This record gives sequence, C-alpha cells and structure tokens, in this order.
Amino acid sequence: MSEAVRIGLIAVSAAVAIGMSAFATALAQSRIGAAMAGAVAERPELVGSAIIMVAIPETMVILGFVVAFLITGLKTAK
Amino acid sequence: MIERMAKVEILGLKDVALDAIDLIHELGTLHIEDLSEKIGKMEGKRVTKMEPDAKFAEHQASLNLLREKVAEMLRDLKTGLEEVSGEEVEREYKLLWSDNLQVMIGSIERLLSEISREIKDPVERKSDLMVELSRLEKYAPIMAKVQPLAARVSKMEDMASIALIIERKYKAILSYLNEEISKVTKGECEIISADVDEESTAALVVFNKRYLKQVHDFLAVQDVNQVRLPSDIAKMPIDEAMAKVRARIAEIPQELEEIEKRLNELTRKYTTKLVAARNAINDRLQTMEAMPKFGQTDQVFIISGWLPEARVKEMEKALTEKFGNKVVMTVTDIREEEQEETPVALRNNPFVRHFELIYLLSKYPKYGTIDPTFIFAIFFPILFGLMVGDMGYGILITLLGYVVYKKWNDKPLANMAGYVMTVSGAWTIFFGAIYLEFFGNLLLKALGRIYEVGGVEHVKYFLGTEHSILKYPIDRLEAFGLMFAISLIIGLIHMGIGLVIGVINGIREKNRKHAIEKGGLLAILLGAIMVIAKFGLAWWPVYATVIGGVLFVGGLALAAFGGGAGGLVEGFVAWGNLFSYIRLYAIGLASVIMAVVANQLASEMGKSGWIGLVVGVIIFILLHALNIVIGVFSPSIHSLRLHLVESFGKFFEPAKFKYEPFKKVGGEK
Repeated sequence: MSEAVRIGLIAVSAAVAIGMSAFATALAQSRIGAAMAGAVAERPELVGSAIIMVAIPETMVILGFVVAFLITGLKTAK
Repeated sequence: MIERMAKVEILGLKDVALDAIDLIHELGTLHIEDLSEKIGKMEGKRVTKMEPDAKFAEHQASLNLLREKVAEMLRDLKTGLEEVSGEEVEREYKLLWSDNLQVMIGSIERLLSEISREIKDPVERKSDLMVELSRLEKYAPIMAKVQPLAARVSKMEDMASIALIIERKYKAILSYLNEEISKVTKGECEIISADVDEESTAALVVFNKRYLKQVHDFLAVQDVNQVRLPSDIAKMPIDEAMAKVRARIAEIPQELEEIEKRLNELTRKYTTKLVAARNAINDRLQTMEAMPKFGQTDQVFIISGWLPEARVKEMEKALTEKFGNKVVMTVTDIREEEQEETPVALRNNPFVRHFELIYLLSKYPKYGTIDPTFIFAIFFPILFGLMVGDMGYGILITLLGYVVYKKWNDKPLANMAGYVMTVSGAWTIFFGAIYLEFFGNLLLKALGRIYEVGGVEHVKYFLGTEHSILKYPIDRLEAFGLMFAISLIIGLIHMGIGLVIGVINGIREKNRKHAIEKGGLLAILLGAIMVIAKFGLAWWPVYATVIGGVLFVGGLALAAFGGGAGGLVEGFVAWGNLFSYIRLYAIGLASVIMAVVANQLASEMGKSGWIGLVVGVIIFILLHALNIVIGVFSPSIHSLRLHLVESFGKFFEPAKFKYEPFKKVGGEK
C-alpha cells in the first residue's frame, strides 16, 4: 500500500470517527433541545437544567474527537 | 453546610393571635408549616384552620384594591424605583404602618386621593395636548398642499370647496367621485388633487355653492375622509388657519415640557410615599394570606414551623417579653420521617458561599444529608482550569471575572458568577503554566522551544524527553497517555468523594443498604483502576493488582446486595461515568488546537508584507476571541455536567423545601 493511500485511509477513518459521532450527537441534541425549548417556554426557571440536558449527548462527539485524534496520530507510526 | 433547624410550635390565646403573627412576621425567622392539610385529615375536628372573619376579609379586599391602585400610580408617574432611598422608604413605611387595619387603610387612601388630586390636571392636560399635537401634525402637510388650490377657489365668489384625504392606493376613486359629483352638481364641479406623502393624497372638491347640501350629503354616504379642522380654525380663511396651525405646533411642545417638569416634581415628591405604601400593603397582605396555614381551637391559636437553631432563643425572648404566658413556644425534635419536610438553609464560609450558584440548576440538598457545595467550590474551578489551561486566556478570564464581581457587588447572581469566574481564571493560569501555553504555543515559540520534523511541530522539553512520563511542559498535543490518566484519576477522586458522601448519607439516614451499595460502587471503581494499572505501568506491584481484583469482585457483590440488580447495573454505569471524565482532556485539546491554528494562520499572513501583518493581527484577535468565548462556555457547561451527572448523581438527594422565612419583604408581589 502506498504512503499516500495509507495517509488517505487514516484521514478517512478519523473523519468517520468524528463525523458519525457528531451526527449522532446532533440528532440527540436536536430532540433534547426541542423538548427543552418547550419546557423552558412553560417554566423559564428550567433554562439551567436545559443547558445541562443538551450537553449530555456531547459525550459521544467528545469521545469521537479523541478517537479521531488518536487515529490521526497513526500517520507518523511505522 | 446545612444549617441545623429546630421545629417549633407556638400556642397562644386567640385574642393576641394577630399581634403574635405580626411579631413573628417582624422577626422574620420562622418558616411556616402549612397546617391546613394536617387539620383536614384530623378526626373529631377540635382544631380548625384559622379563618378570617367578615370584617377581616373586607379589609383584605380593600388592601388588594389599593395594591392595584398604587401599582397603577407608580406606572403613571414612571418612577425610577432604583433612585428611591431605602431609609426614606423605611421612614414613610413606619408612618403608614399600623396594627389597626382600618387606620392603615385610611392613611393609604388619603395618600392616594392627595396624589390623584395633584396629578389629575397635569395628566389630563398632557393627554389633551398630545392629541391636539398629533391632529395638527396630521393637518399641516394636508393644508400645505390644499392651500394653493384653495387660494384659487377663494377668488371665485360662487364656488365652495371641501378638502378630502384619501389613501394613495385608492387614488382611483377620485375619478368616480368626479363623475358622481358632476351628476349632483350638473357638471358645475372640479376635483383638484396632490399627493401629501407616500401614503395619502389630498383632494379639493370645488363646486357651485348652490349644491353645498347635496355634495355634503353625497360625501357623507361615501367612505372618504373629509378634512375636518378643529372648530376654532375651521371657519378661518385657509391662509390664516395655516398660520394658526403652525403656531400651535410650535407652542405645544413647550407646554408639554412645562407639564412634564411639573409631573417630575410630583414624581419626586410622591415616589417614596408610594413605594412605602406598596411595601406596607404587601407585607400586611402577606400576613393575611398566611393565616389559613395556622390552626385554632375555640380559645387557642396554633402556629407551627421551623427556624435555625441559633434563632430559637431570640424568638422565645421576643414572645415572652411581649405576651408573657399568653403565648408559649415549644421546641420539638425533628423526627427522621420529618426530615423530608424540613426546609433547608445553607450556611457556608464566604469562599464556598459564592459557589452556591449551582443551586440555580438543582434543588438544595435534603435536610440531614451532606451539603456538597464544597465539592463544587473545590472541583469546578480545577476542572475548568484543567480544560482551558492557557495563561493568556486565564489572565483575561480572571480580569473579566473580577470586574463582574466588583461592578455588580449588589447583584448576588452576577457577583457570585464573577467570583466563580475569577477563581476559575486563576486555576486556568496555573494549568497554563503547567502546559506552558500562552495564547496557544505563542510563548513556546518565543522561547524557541518548538522545532519541526516533517512539517509536524514538536516541543523541546525543559525537563524529561518525549518518552518520559513526567516532563515539563506537558504538551497536550503529544501527552495523550498522561492526560488520559490524569483525567481518569481526577474522575476517580471526584466520583469517589461523591460515593463516600453517599455512604455517609446512608449511615446518617440509617439506610444500611444504600450505604453498602455506594461503598460497593466505590470498591468497583478503585479495584478496576488497580487492575488496569498493571497493563499500563510495568512497575505496578502484583499484590496491588490482586487487591484490586478482590475489591472489584467484592464491590460487585456489595453493590448487588445493597441495590439489587439496579446496584449491579449502577456498577457498570459508574464505569461509563468515569470514562466521561476524558472530556477534561478532549475539550482542552480542541481549545489548544484552535489556538495553534490561530497562531499559524496569523504568522503565515504576517509573512506577506504590512497588509498581511494587519490581516494577521486581525485573524489572531478574532480567532483567539472566539476560542476564549468557546473556552469559557464549553468548559463551564462540561464542568457543571460532571458535577451534576457524574458526581452528585451518586449521592445527591434533593430537598423538598428551601428555608423561606415568613418575613416582611415589601416590593412588587
């Protein structure tokens, strides 16, 4: 396998790792965000909890980012 | 920590009930227990809810009405409530306040009628003048257009004219009117028109005076606006009327200014009195509204509630001094089953008190459990600093936090937020020094500690090498293993403290299984980390690994014993929670990458002449500013989340009620 193909595959893998987790987070956040927006409209004092709730699925993209970062590190590995 | 509370019952003769309620209200330390529900469940019903008599209800209705009137008057006077002196309000309040409701209501009514009398004329005159000005301003442009047309008509002796104003989009109606009025006047008419502005057109219908009535009758049934001038100028020749209108338009603002001055004087004169009246009404109504929460028998009233233990003596002394043996207060023990109902007040040292900000997002901890505010006070800034970790950003965050803290000294929330930000900024500087980051890798570059291999930048360490575990500075882009371990260790300590508190809470509440479950979870986490350490650290002793294994298995058994299947599941969830602390590294990593990119872009631009240098500086400022905003928002949210979900989630039991003493508050209710 040529070096260019190897680096390309590493880049694609990293992109998939961060991309898929970002997509999943976005999907979850859109649902939670919509529900919390409704809740906050009814009870404005819930705004703080709403921010925390929306932040909960961010664990996925954070782990995705860490994995992507690890994968990009492979390009210098022999 | 949670303030120790005392449960008290106050019993007294009914003839001093209202005075006793007033005294308790004045002292402002008793959190009232609503006895109505308990009384409702009682059989035999010797005790009933305290209910006001008809006279009392009438006074309550009067006070509610007066409250509306005072609020309306404060709105009319457009008072700047923040300019009112608290001391003056207090003085006026004492003058208005009376134990005799009839007297108090009378004083407030007299005050309101005095203010009404004084402000009635200027307010009415102001309103009239505003209406007049608005009408004249509408006439002026119409008359300006009609004036030259009317001047021509006035030379024709037999002719009369009527001015119309029509919306421009319906301008086509003029030809219809011309046709119809021609029929009425047998052709002796003409319509002249001119646009006034973008929306309206003025028209002058000129016709023979003989047909005045017929034309008026015709126009009356059509949907067109005739320009009707105020009666005093309607009969004037148009030139004279025009001059008069212009003169009035110039005069009215001066008159309005005079009235405004007078109203401002009245506002200054009466605001303090009105605010005092509002506060007195609110405080009086508060005592009246609280009455159904108290109990009574034929002879005795009963008030039950909680107050801080430190304030019991003060209450006892005040009641004895005022009522002697007519009112008796007894302190009862808070039974275990009553802990849930006990209101919670926090009493922390000044440092920790600022971090009570977290209770905007959560309820207070339950009475009898441990107040975890100190965990938040210690860990929030550390976790924040660990994530942001940049001396430059830290200095800016500290300064900004300090400015907010000082500037909004009188606003508790902003003051607390400023304090939290200042402490977090200080930790950001500390961790920035460990990573040696100052606006990304700017300082490392300036010190010549960056070198490139194959287009990739590396750090020349002051202490240790790339392969050492301990080195200085810690380069977050390369030290994945170390940062991963630090994140997990911090997570273990943070969650561990939560679980230890869970065990203590279980013991305090005599909930043995709860304590065992939390202890088991702690053993699972510790044991698993001790086993995993063997795979990462070659020097890790075998006996520590064995102890870890025993702890892990024992922990599983304890968790299952304490919490059943839920306890076992919780054991695995705790592992997920522990790995969630990896965000401490990941969020910092994202921030440092963005800072490095900002520096790289700026320096590349700077290489292409002075325009490039300017663009480079702009890019540097914009990207770092964005990074700081994200760097403040995101770590705050994630640090909060690690507390509320990962740590507090392991032990926190929310209180049902916050300590809200029955006290005079005045203000808008």
